[in-house]
Amino acid sequence: MDNLGELLHGFSIAVTVPHLVLMVVGVLLGILVGVLPGLGAPNGVSLLLPLTFGMQPVSAIILLSSMYWGALFGGSVTSILFNIPGEPSSVATTFDGYPMARDGRPTTALATAFGSAAFGALIGVILITFLASWVAQVALAFGPAEYFAVYFLAFASFVGMGGAAPVKTIVALAIGFAIAAIGIDTVSGSVRLTMGVDELVKGVNFVVAVMGLFGIGELLVAVEEEFHARAVSSKIDWREVFRAVGRLPRHGVALLRSAAIGCWMGITPGGPTAASFMSYGIARRFSRRGRYFGTGEVEGIISPETADHAAGTSALLPMLSLGIPGSATAAVMMGGLMIWGLNPGPMLFVDQKDFVWGLIASMYVGNIVAVALVLLTVPVFAALMRIPFVVIAPLIVIICVVGAYSVSNSYLDVVMMLGFGIVGYLFKKLFYPLAPLVLAIVIGDKAEDAFRQSMLMSKGSLGIFFANKLVTCLIVAGIALLLLPLVLQLAKLRRKPASPSTETTAQEKVII
Amino acid sequence: MISRRALELATAVLTGGFGVAVVIQSLDNGIGWSSAGVEAGTFPFLTGTIIVLGSLYNLVRGALPVASLANVPIAITPIELRRLAGLFVPAAIFVAAIPLAGMYVASALYVFAVLAIPRHQSVPRALGMAAATALALYVVFERMFQVSLPHGALAAALGF
Repeated sequence: MDNLGELLHGFSIAVTVPHLVLMVVGVLLGILVGVLPGLGAPNGVSLLLPLTFGMQPVSAIILLSSMYWGALFGGSVTSILFNIPGEPSSVATTFDGYPMARDGRPTTALATAFGSAAFGALIGVILITFLASWVAQVALAFGPAEYFAVYFLAFASFVGMGGAAPVKTIVALAIGFAIAAIGIDTVSGSVRLTMGVDELVKGVNFVVAVMGLFGIGELLVAVEEEFHARAVSSKIDWREVFRAVGRLPRHGVALLRSAAIGCWMGITPGGPTAASFMSYGIARRFSRRGRYFGTGEVEGIISPETADHAAGTSALLPMLSLGIPGSATAAVMMGGLMIWGLNPGPMLFVDQKDFVWGLIASMYVGNIVAVALVLLTVPVFAALMRIPFVVIAPLIVIICVVGAYSVSNSYLDVVMMLGFGIVGYLFKKLFYPLAPLVLAIVIGDKAEDAFRQSMLMSKGSLGIFFANKLVTCLIVAGIALLLLPLVLQLAKLRRKPASPSTETTAQEKVII
Repeated sequence: MISRRALELATAVLTGGFGVAVVIQSLDNGIGWSSAGVEAGTFPFLTGTIIVLGSLYNLVRGALPVASLANVPIAITPIELRRLAGLFVPAAIFVAAIPLAGMYVASALYVFAVLAIPRHQSVPRALGMAAATALALYVVFERMFQVSLPHGALAAALGF
């Protein structure tokens, strides 16, 4: 029960007035970026990053993670009230959330969504509380070969389970690795891949990439469709809130199943978006009222919301204990950790107990703060949606430009950000996944270092990746995940020789 | 109008071109094994090769009339293209104007132009929003967070 003691200590750090204020600020900013189409959790968090450099790491991570919770909640508000998903991960919430709100039950829809979201987050945090330090303990014994194997497994699981076309995922990953390699090589000190541009010696900062890929890219996708913010009433009936939350335990099976799916997808980097779609799909298949899904079913809201938040929360587990982020936003936060001078990974649990347990305790408190704030502010943020998109769009462009510039006061970064915007738009349009790209930019160097160090240890023999049981298992599991899409394809071909692969657009939307 | 196929091909060519550039550049750093371990160019060389091969696969798949692509033959309609250009072209001009006009003047001009020229807002309101944007940027960055945004060549010539 060491963990509980540490957790109590964490609460004494998280529940202080300055940190509670940071949580409120973070959650409100998070809801704001969650509500605005074109601004999402990854670039919201990277925008705040430069402002945290002067803070204590634990305060900074509380601010950033609260913003993440806020963004997850904010995305659901617009999904339910406007049928416009503010975040990719809340697309599945529109399927049943909006019909229910349109039928005159907006409070029920919102309260059901927030209640199940809080449940999902709670399960995720409990998982982190009890599992993270154990995983870190195991990982303390890792050498470079084991580390490379874990990285390999993480990247392979994107290919095998991410849901996007496997080759597109591989291309996105490899581009991320190449971008990570730009600049000075940490091992040999030589300059790599600058393409003759001297300024690139400093490398490409992931914040610049995130601003372009998620900010400008998403804006371009959003501007294509004309927005009609036909809102249903955004008035909150407080008695109905408690009644709706009171009805949640009746759907216990759906809640637990969705939380399990979410946690699994969060820890193995599938991400919240894939988790919410998968959970919705499974619920539709197994629910007794599956036929009515899409018309405002309660379980159609519970399933994606619970999984979304469970995945978002548990994505921090591998980030903390292994140094491998489970989602794009977690990748940005991990970049922050490195900037603050912390080394994400198992040593955090030894050297930085205050940081780790302060963060974990703040996740309990932060989610409660988020539920309360989001309910209180629904009318305010709903009003924000009535501002025409033509007014909001240039402001978001300016925010992204200033955000990219302020990373290292470089004009080249702004130009590159715009370039990443075009790439982000093309990738989104053609269903190339963006999360693995960002992930590879953030941890590409570490993966490469681990590979080169293990090669040094073994004097160039790949045998080191099969030297003991643990590393062999990890590598074999990784290879299996890489080959999984191929096997499925072959199996499909054998069963139905002539049937073409049926990728529907609805399915393709899973991959963002 | 841009077809899904054209967009797939263009993207595959783009990623493939980047892959080729990475492969060529990585050869400068040396690939393979040396006395100091794996040479610096090896990892980029491998990733570059993977990008090129993957892009070739995507290129072929994009070119073939596969059922999944037939679902959405048109990727961008003319109206959508106009909306895209309406957002991106002004943004690109804004970014291009920053070295000359500086962040504050450029962003004010940008907001004004985007709102007033297509008549989304009246001229006085657009002027007000433009001024408010520049002022907000100045207060938040220059004053609160002490981050200096570029003032531009024009301001330097005027002696700011």
